[in-house]
Amino acid sequence: MALTITCPICDKRNGYEFRYGGVDKGPRPDEEGLTPTSWCDHVHMNKCVAGIQKEWWFHRDGCGAWFTIYRDTTTNLEVDKPEAN
Amino acid sequence: MKNIIRRSPVSFDSRPAKTEMRDNWTVALEYEAEETGPYLIDLSHRARWDFQDVDISKIQTWGMNVPESPGQCLFENGIIINRMNRTQVSIWHLSGAKPDVPDNPAFTDVTDTTVFLALFSKDIFSITEKLTSLYFLDPLKETPFLLQGPFSHIPCQIVTLEKIPERSGILFTCSRGYARDIIASILEAGAEFGLRPAGENVLIKWLNELWG
Repeated sequence: MALTITCPICDKRNGYEFRYGGVDKGPRPDEEGLTPTSWCDHVHMNKCVAGIQKEWWFHRDGCGAWFTIYRDTTTNLEVDKPEAN
Repeated sequence: MKNIIRRSPVSFDSRPAKTEMRDNWTVALEYEAEETGPYLIDLSHRARWDFQDVDISKIQTWGMNVPESPGQCLFENGIIINRMNRTQVSIWHLSGAKPDVPDNPAFTDVTDTTVFLALFSKDIFSITEKLTSLYFLDPLKETPFLLQGPFSHIPCQIVTLEKIPERSGILFTCSRGYARDIIASILEAGAEFGLRPAGENVLIKWLNELWG
C-alpha cells in the first residue's frame, strides 16, 4: 500500500507530496562539553529502527509545513503516537 | 514617466475578440464562440497579496475578518481571503474596482509572481480528476474552501467556489514560471469535454449568478 501522510493543515495526503526530513532526534545537545565525536554522532548517526519511529516531514507540494509523524518502518505506514511516548 | 507594460504569463492559441487595457495589463474580456463551456480563464491581471502575521486572527483586511482555520475562505466585496496556515492568508481580488493596499508591511503583492486561473462550468471535475488526486467534492467541506497541493504535478493553491456539477468552479494559482506547462496540460485534459479559453466577462457573470 502506498504511503499516506497526515499533514496537520491539509489532512491525509499521498506520500509523494512530501519530503522526508529525517528521524526526530530530539533537542540539540548542549554545547557545553560537546566533543566533535558526539556532535558528529548526533548529526550523522541514525538508529535505523525496525518499528515505530518519530520522523520529520515537509509538505513540499502543499502547504509547506514541517511536522512530525510516527511511522512503522517495517510496514511503511503512518501510525498513532505510541503510548510510551 | 513611461508606463510599464505588464504581461500575463498565460497565452492561448486563440485570440480574444475583445480586450481592454487595465493597470497596464491587456485584459481579455471575450473570446469568439465561447458558447457554454467549460471555460479556462486567465486572471493573472487580478491583484493578489500574501499576508503574514504572528497574530493573524486579530487583523482585519478591508473590514473582513480572517477565516478561523486553515482551508477556510471568505468571499466578500469581490475579494476572497484564503487561510493558508496559522500565520498566513492569501488574498485574491476577483471583481469590482481594485482596492487600495493597506499600509502594512505584513502585505506582500504577489500579482507578478504567480499565475491566476479560473476553471468553471459543467464537467470541470471530470477534467480535474485527470490532473490531480485532490478531492474537490469533499462533502465535509463547505464552499468556498482552499486546498494546497499538486495540480498537474505543480504545487498550487486551489479554491473550490462551487461543487454543484452544472455550475462548479475552481480558482487556482501557482508560480508564474509554470504557466505554459499547466495551461497545456489543462487544455489537453479538457479537450474531450470541450474546454475552451474564455474572457473575464464570463467569469464576472458567473460570480454574479453564484453570489449576487
